[in-house]
Amino acid sequence: MKIEVKKNVLQNNDLAAARNRSRLAGKRTAMLNLMAAPGAGKTSAIIKAIEGTRDSRALAVIEGDITSEVDSLAIEALGIPAIQINTGGSCHLTASMIGAALDHLDLDNLDLIIVENVGNLVCPAEFDLGESARVTISSVAEGHDKPLKYPLVFREVDAVVINKTDLMPYCDFDLAFFRDAVERLNPDAHVLRMSCRDGSGSEEWCRWLMNSVV
Amino acid sequence: MHEYAVTESILEIVKAEVRQAGGGRVSMITVVIGELTSFASESIEFYFETLARGTVAEGAWLEFRPLEAIASCGGCGGSFTPGPRHVLLVCPDCGSAAYDFVQGKEFYIESIEVSA
Repeated sequence: MKIEVKKNVLQNNDLAAARNRSRLAGKRTAMLNLMAAPGAGKTSAIIKAIEGTRDSRALAVIEGDITSEVDSLAIEALGIPAIQINTGGSCHLTASMIGAALDHLDLDNLDLIIVENVGNLVCPAEFDLGESARVTISSVAEGHDKPLKYPLVFREVDAVVINKTDLMPYCDFDLAFFRDAVERLNPDAHVLRMSCRDGSGSEEWCRWLMNSVV
Repeated sequence: MHEYAVTESILEIVKAEVRQAGGGRVSMITVVIGELTSFASESIEFYFETLARGTVAEGAWLEFRPLEAIASCGGCGGSFTPGPRHVLLVCPDCGSAAYDFVQGKEFYIESIEVSA
């Protein structure tokens, strides 16, 4: 006997994501899903965002890592609520993990939740979390060909941050090539340049967040 | 690696469908995977073998049906199939780089074959 199923394999995740999205919309809280390779500078970019927006926006952070509390402790040290999710080996966050984390946040008094996804350029892009905006970070040391090799994440985002621009003189990073590839994959994506280390570009990053996300 | 979670999800859906149909053993599951997704069928097979053990779907054959990407051109309104190398496309008819994918992101269970 053949049973016609026609059911999306990710249906449970998509349902949980829709729940998160309507819950956050009801609370007027924005949520940003930050996706990038390990070491691209996700936590550093979040710290820059906190420093530059905390005077006018109430923030919280959800940290996704396979293990450890390194990142959430760094955020809490700044006096910002941080929820650590340890996926225990899983390579991405899911909408239900986010739903459980939201239970621990004071949503009535938050403008923006930044979710730092597990360091990975492939899997996180497949899983909707219920976010209102998506950003990926590419550091110049990773090379300018990453949009061609991981097109999905670059297609799915609202902004692409090129980080570690202070390393430009030491890396063969072809900025024009990178920008052109992003432009052709995702013409609507905003491209920003930043060095979390020397602070350049962080004003623009915060301005973009406050104008476009929250 | 994300195929582990995905395989669990496939099994959950299959078990629920079989329950609804009044039981039986699953002999085949047909899964459609759009070529713009990053799900690897080999990994799903690998996890399935372990996860399905002891369930109604133990030993079932996984049939994967790839679905090609189709882009709709914003320049001339036509559509084209980019093929497996689907990055940095331009429309073969008008050369426009403004396109939207209208097919290729699908990932669903099409049907299951159940025997009593």
